[in-house]
Amino acid sequence: MEQGSVSKKPAVVEEWEPRIIAFLCNWCSYAGADLAGISRIQYPPNIRVVRVPCSSRVSPYFIIKSLQRGWDGVLVSGCHPGECHYISGNLIARRRFAVLKDMLEYIGVEPDRVNFSWISAAEGERFSKLVREVVEKVKALGPAHRLVKGE
Amino acid sequence: MEGLGNSIKEAAERLLNEGDVDLVIGYERGTTPLRSTPCFIRDSGDVDRLIWDPTCDANLAKYLIGQDAKIGVFVKGCDARSAVVCIAEGQIDRDKVVLIGLPCSGVVDRKKIDSVLDGREILDATVDEEKITVRGEDFEEELPTKNFLCDSCLSCRHRTPTVYDIMIGDTPTEEPDTDEYAEVDELESMTAEERWAHFVEELSSCIRCYSCRNVCPMCYCKECFVDETMPAWFGKTNDLSDTMIYHIVRSLHLAGRCVDCGACSRSCPMGIDLRTLLKKGEKIVKERFSFEAGMDVEEKPVMSVFKQEDSEEFVI
Amino acid sequence: MKIKIVDKKEVPALIDRLIERYRVFAPVDAGKYARLMEVASGSEACLELQNPKLSSKEILFPQTEIILRIKKGEEGLETEEPSENDKDWVLFGVHPCDAKGLVLTDKFFASGDYKDKPYMDKRGKTSIVGLACNHPRATCFCASVGGSPFGKEGIDILLVDLGEEYLIEILTERGERMIEGVHGLRDASDDDMARAEKMSEEAEKALQTDLPIEGLSERLEGMFEDPLWDKVHLKCVGCGVCSYLCPTCWCFDIIDEETSTGVERIRLWDTCQFTQFTLQGSGFNPRPSGKERMRQRIMHKFCYFPKEYGVLACTGCGRCVRECPVNQDIRETIKEIMSV
Repeated sequence: MEQGSVSKKPAVVEEWEPRIIAFLCNWCSYAGADLAGISRIQYPPNIRVVRVPCSSRVSPYFIIKSLQRGWDGVLVSGCHPGECHYISGNLIARRRFAVLKDMLEYIGVEPDRVNFSWISAAEGERFSKLVREVVEKVKALGPAHRLVKGE
Repeated sequence: MEGLGNSIKEAAERLLNEGDVDLVIGYERGTTPLRSTPCFIRDSGDVDRLIWDPTCDANLAKYLIGQDAKIGVFVKGCDARSAVVCIAEGQIDRDKVVLIGLPCSGVVDRKKIDSVLDGREILDATVDEEKITVRGEDFEEELPTKNFLCDSCLSCRHRTPTVYDIMIGDTPTEEPDTDEYAEVDELESMTAEERWAHFVEELSSCIRCYSCRNVCPMCYCKECFVDETMPAWFGKTNDLSDTMIYHIVRSLHLAGRCVDCGACSRSCPMGIDLRTLLKKGEKIVKERFSFEAGMDVEEKPVMSVFKQEDSEEFVI
Repeated sequence: MKIKIVDKKEVPALIDRLIERYRVFAPVDAGKYARLMEVASGSEACLELQNPKLSSKEILFPQTEIILRIKKGEEGLETEEPSENDKDWVLFGVHPCDAKGLVLTDKFFASGDYKDKPYMDKRGKTSIVGLACNHPRATCFCASVGGSPFGKEGIDILLVDLGEEYLIEILTERGERMIEGVHGLRDASDDDMARAEKMSEEAEKALQTDLPIEGLSERLEGMFEDPLWDKVHLKCVGCGVCSYLCPTCWCFDIIDEETSTGVERIRLWDTCQFTQFTLQGSGFNPRPSGKERMRQRIMHKFCYFPKEYGVLACTGCGRCVRECPVNQDIRETIKEIMSV
């Protein structure tokens, strides 16, 4: 448990690729990601997908724990407001995500590490664009070091 | 405040004698200088123990949680708002509580007083709204009370309890235009690195005693997230990452619920200023959702509702 | 028993001498309070401050301590018990209440056949330079519980602040070894010793709290069901401040945490005041409310522990009284018990 590594910026290794964890809601965003795959749209392989029933299943604990475990970036994606499979899950989640994002930025965690989006089941192309965008943003930040727990 | 001593005792006596309540919770003189301590009275013969002065800092709404009995509780403006939050969240039965409002213009911060005494021990002290007189082995000093109030009191905009059944004395004059987010604004004007360094420095002395959590009326979960083991979200050691996350998550849990009574910062044995985090949560909720905690028992908790037009500028 | 004198201005150099041979932990000005911390030079130590916020136990029994590391090696699991294979340690400037606290934690960690390795490894190589308490605080009550502001229990060398100098009383062989090769010490004169004696008397007289504890343990034995317990706990919020800051409280929790290479088994402070302290796997909790937990704390310190070890598990340092967020005062509790 090296206390030092919470703030120590690790050396960036050549060819470092960010690892991004993506929480995708089953009904919309996960289906959209699936559509991207079926359509053979190429997008960066940096994301690891976790399927959740609804974006509101994503608790701030998931996001913060991911950052603590060294994930370089987090993406949470759900149905467009008004289209939530569970009617209002994403609307409740939206408030929670807003507060979390503001708070993390205030602490000093780089805002581009934690990303939220609404992707529908029909938006395969848009999903791949989103992943490209997020990977680029996180790559520019370098490996995660704030909040990361020591070895 | 002198005349009020009798009103306080009378109010408590009346409530107990008339059977309106089984228990009165108030403040009595503490055992060390400049301290008060919570006081639990069931017998109207004991009401002489009750006091009210700027040492009455504890948030007594804490003691209402999980109670079945009918309780009369003395509340300052902030304490009353905590009670309102807990009532709105279904943790306190409004009908079983008699809120006795106290006219508060602030409580003293003992840490501020100690810091000007340069290590000299206070052996005896008196305090009223105007001045604090501290006496030690070879010194006596008079300090103006208003210079030694808690930071949360300096930015308080709700001195009058938002809900009360009985008001002791006159409702205090309000200061509606305090710059309550001055410290938050200052931090926001720093770079992310500077803010991070600030929070690392501030939180690194935390020993995970949880006094901040335990004095807070809004921290009433039977199992706190720190104790959850399946899964264990975050570690319980004083590892800096785990410690920072404890405070960040607690602040998130309190966003829109914290009333800035200051009890947590006052209770911290290591002198950590928790308000810089909690006040940010309050500011976020106020700016985004126009919500202030503890104003109305009927208003639903802000994070449990939504509006179609909630801002989503952060969504990419 | 050798008694020496050293000028106060020579003390930083004395500590520097010790740092050559030991890891030295001394009171340091941590801004808002004093804290016992490792010092790299004698000038960092500050002996004029009040008792450190946390007691000396935080050095030998830290809040967080890795007691076992398990790694996946080539031939299966490899275990490693971290140990400090460095120089011996010195705790410098420890008040008698905290030194006595270590005597009490020794009784727990070294009792019977089992010696707690993480604690004993450190304890075994730690020497204590005590600092007598000339000005006990209003919240101090060491003499009430069998101690004294000039108490020598657990101390290898006792320093007494005589104003411009410190009297150095070498009490044990460890103390002798510490002082070996330290120059600049004069022999104390009879006058010096008389001054120190006078200060000791004055310090004892200065104690403002005098608790009636005669027969306390016996009285408590019959008080388990006393209605007093219904009232004592009411204002306690169940945090860990009193136990964490107490020199004699040693309860701990053990957790396993995953790392990228395996598992760490970690010991950390726990307290009987936490709601989940006695929560059993079945869901049953024999101490379900603050009443049982407060009763446990008092009974343990003033009844169960003295019955087992012959000494009260309280050194009268006053930290719990000063730091409790709601001013729960153990002195008042004792007085109430004695007047039942």
